[in-house]
Amino acid sequence: MAETITSCGINQTGFDEFLQSRDEPGWLLDLRRSAWHSFLKMDWPTRREEEWMRTDIRLFKPDNFSLPGELPENVNLPSAYLREGVELGGYSSSLDSRSVEASIGKKWADKGVLFGSLGRLVSEHGDLIKEHLFTRAFNPNYDRFATLHAACWSGGTLLYVPRGVVVDQPFHTLSAMSDGGVDFGHTLVILEEGAEVTLLADMASGDDNHGGFHCGATELLVAPGANLRYVSLQDWGQRVWHFAHQKALVDRDASLQWTIGAMGSRLAKVNQHVGLVGEGANVQVNGVMFTEGKQHLSYHTLQHHEAPSCRSDFLYKAALQDNSRTVWRGMIQVDKGAQKTDGYQRNDNLLLSPKARADSIPGLEIEADDVRCTHGSTSGRVDEELIFYCRCRGFTRKEAIRAIVTGFFQQIFDRVTIESVRDALGLAVARRVRDYE
Amino acid sequence: MADFVEVANVTEIPDPGKQLLEVDDRLVVLFHVGGEFFCIDDVCTHDDGPLSDGDLQDHTIACPRHGAKFDIRNGKALTMPATEATVIHETKVDGDLVFVKINER
Repeated sequence: MAETITSCGINQTGFDEFLQSRDEPGWLLDLRRSAWHSFLKMDWPTRREEEWMRTDIRLFKPDNFSLPGELPENVNLPSAYLREGVELGGYSSSLDSRSVEASIGKKWADKGVLFGSLGRLVSEHGDLIKEHLFTRAFNPNYDRFATLHAACWSGGTLLYVPRGVVVDQPFHTLSAMSDGGVDFGHTLVILEEGAEVTLLADMASGDDNHGGFHCGATELLVAPGANLRYVSLQDWGQRVWHFAHQKALVDRDASLQWTIGAMGSRLAKVNQHVGLVGEGANVQVNGVMFTEGKQHLSYHTLQHHEAPSCRSDFLYKAALQDNSRTVWRGMIQVDKGAQKTDGYQRNDNLLLSPKARADSIPGLEIEADDVRCTHGSTSGRVDEELIFYCRCRGFTRKEAIRAIVTGFFQQIFDRVTIESVRDALGLAVARRVRDYE
Repeated sequence: MADFVEVANVTEIPDPGKQLLEVDDRLVVLFHVGGEFFCIDDVCTHDDGPLSDGDLQDHTIACPRHGAKFDIRNGKALTMPATEATVIHETKVDGDLVFVKINER
């Protein structure tokens, strides 16, 4: 489907122009209008709300940005680290929320797998998308960012794997943003019963100094017995505002391994929600955060056990330098009927500078009486004795700190089974570590 | 290195009084007390509370969230739960105009 619109502001006129340019099914346009209506009625979140108390967005100026516009003539995409050395089953890329290219291997297309730009595929596969888009996972009325996304999402990614199809080649998607651009991409992954696939997602700006506005959402729908590995690496420029709602629903005996790398952006506020909705569901979440300068990364996770005998295991590790800041707020919620739950959450923070700050707030809400739920959090500075030990063996101070930081993240790298992902995360961390006295 | 930036007219802020300002992509509070101007970050070092919403008593501002108090002249934390000073910024008055120089810390 052709997506040709000019860039328009985040206001009624801009939305009307955006809508007129969309060649989309009526149900989707109605969905957008309804979300826009909610957007107009809501206010931006303030620090009076518990969830936003530690995340100050008063300097965020939405008027400085426009809704997704036309693809520029010269498309220069940044490097995509996650795909290096990987034989892919398909790939897609977008710039400023406009699809640039998409391809899927014939082998997988013949088996009924769908992959590419959600914005383009919605015309051909409207019925499938209508059944899942915003219906079970993503709540378009959660807050004003969610309503804006629901009204104005563009580009994005669809990955659909039919019943019983096991895809042994990863798919890759790159969402790129130009300086001052926007990314309103929506990721929709649908795995039918017994399906299996891996999706690698890079988000990147062309330069560390670039600005922009990401207002995105992710829906991962994993049917009974299916197996999804999803990896996302957020490496926007350090002037980008990043707001995202991400939710996975994992059904009976299905499994999800979700790995997140959060390196870029000026300020990030992410809600990551996993619902274990079928008996025996198994979820592992790995989070790697590295912050520097005045970056502020805020992650709010929820592992919601709605069914019995499910297992969830969340591990977030953050290393902070300069004046940067992280906020991690995690919750394990266990419903009354979710007996035999095994829930775990942990957040470790390594403070590389005296001015860095990490807020860690783990929580439990348990209504069942036969569960095992544990959580923990650690925050601390680099041990000078370890540095001394390394230096005695010929390391420079910087090499010593880099080795200690790598060791700090090793626990997560060991859990990640995809070599390119381990390499990309390790490289992203290593190139950021600076020398500290 | 930041330069002095014109932020207000002397008469705009009552004495005693305060005003939230955005200077060089940073939120700061400008105070007018006893004929002098002072400027600090709009951040309580305990819990990031907005000091601009707090009560001003002489040269002391109280965080509206948990009551931590700061000296607006030097940023020092005066009471628990804050233990670290908040960042102060240099001010100067030239004629009728108030200028602030952002401390890059």
